[in-house]
Amino acid sequence: MKALLSKQLRLTCHPMTLVFLLAGVFLLIPSYPYTVAFFYVTLGIFFMFMNGREQRDADFSAVLPVRKCDTVKAACLFSTLVELCALAIAVPFAFLGARINPNGTNAAGLDANVALFAVGFLVFAAFNIVFLPSFYRTGYKVGVSFLKASLCVALVVVLDIALPHVPGLPWLDGTDTASCLRQLPLLGVCAAVYVIFTLLACRIAVRRYEKVDL
Amino acid sequence: MNLLEVEGLRKIYPAFTLQDVSFVVPEGAIVGFIGRNGAGKSTTLKSILGLVHPDGGTVRWRGEDVKDCEKSFKENIGVVLGGIDFYPKKKLNTIASVTKMFYPNWDDAKYQHYCKVFALDGEKRVDQLSSGMKVKALIALALSHNASLLILDEPTSGLDPVSRDELTELFRAIVADGTRSILFSTHITSDLEKCASHITFIKDGAVIHSGTLDSFRSAFADRGSTLEDIIVSVERRELDESAII
Repeated sequence: MKALLSKQLRLTCHPMTLVFLLAGVFLLIPSYPYTVAFFYVTLGIFFMFMNGREQRDADFSAVLPVRKCDTVKAACLFSTLVELCALAIAVPFAFLGARINPNGTNAAGLDANVALFAVGFLVFAAFNIVFLPSFYRTGYKVGVSFLKASLCVALVVVLDIALPHVPGLPWLDGTDTASCLRQLPLLGVCAAVYVIFTLLACRIAVRRYEKVDL
Repeated sequence: MNLLEVEGLRKIYPAFTLQDVSFVVPEGAIVGFIGRNGAGKSTTLKSILGLVHPDGGTVRWRGEDVKDCEKSFKENIGVVLGGIDFYPKKKLNTIASVTKMFYPNWDDAKYQHYCKVFALDGEKRVDQLSSGMKVKALIALALSHNASLLILDEPTSGLDPVSRDELTELFRAIVADGTRSILFSTHITSDLEKCASHITFIKDGAVIHSGTLDSFRSAFADRGSTLEDIIVSVERRELDESAII
């Protein structure tokens, strides 16, 4: 797996995949739907898969002494690492953003707070569960897979924009300590959803790709 | 001893069927796998490598079913898929340093040696190499992990006569010590006249002859004196009056 991850990083990964790890910087923008930052991370993952297809990565991997299922698992794991790194890198920007744009001033969606990261997990969960199984159905239809996944991600972005306006949920928009503590269970639930959806996505992707003739 | 044994390999597509393909690759042999375009050469090689799922048949590596020894089989083979450029924007040395992580038998000194022998510049990107050099680069990778069987799918297609001659000479040198073998699919039969010890001839998805080069010549003596004459004679389809409208 280590060798496959190294191959993914050094041969398959697109430079923009790594650049979009810094999408957390978007959290400094005043009045912006911050979940769009996470969408850019999924765009970077799309570039990686497209790059792999164009560079015939599947054919190269198929003749290496590794199982076909491991090549899929490695790509899924690498995508997951990209997503988690992007979330981690976004944390300091969220702290900074909360200082620049004080409590409740983001009119375009959730403020840079714990609930935003919970919705971030949902963005990646929605992306993974649609994109990975769809791509590995053929091993080459990367554009259609990304389009389908983006529609699902768009729904989560709409959720991010709508949530602060739902009566009774103003605590979701707060950046103060009390609000953030109240948002923590939501973060846990969304992280669990992310883990379950990603594992499921990987499992379906492996099963589908086993049947593909290269 | 046979390095590779293919028995009854079958693959059914809606418009094409690979029918019970059987042949062997003995140790120290260069097996020319010949047939016209679309005869089933690449499908056979892909089935051997597990890139496509055969509907029947077995592939044995040193007597053991490859399904039971997939890792060791793939560790001991080198594959060159003609016409495919892997990672065109990456440097050869980068590809080599990633590839070596997968092979316990990788030998850095050998890689450097073959780069020197083949005049390969490891700092060059794949898309900066000529077609012949790309094939040599893949062969260098295969030899650097001590592959005992090279599976080459149309490696000389699109190469100029001089490069093809160099490669056939290289193939003879690779098998010279009798421990390595080459399975070499091509429709350029003149290359095989120079280097093949065995021929497997496939037509419309079925093997119609498999054996030594001499046995192949004897079997088709009435069809021509060269491999090309024989294949053209066997494969040629006459256009009837209704073919052109």
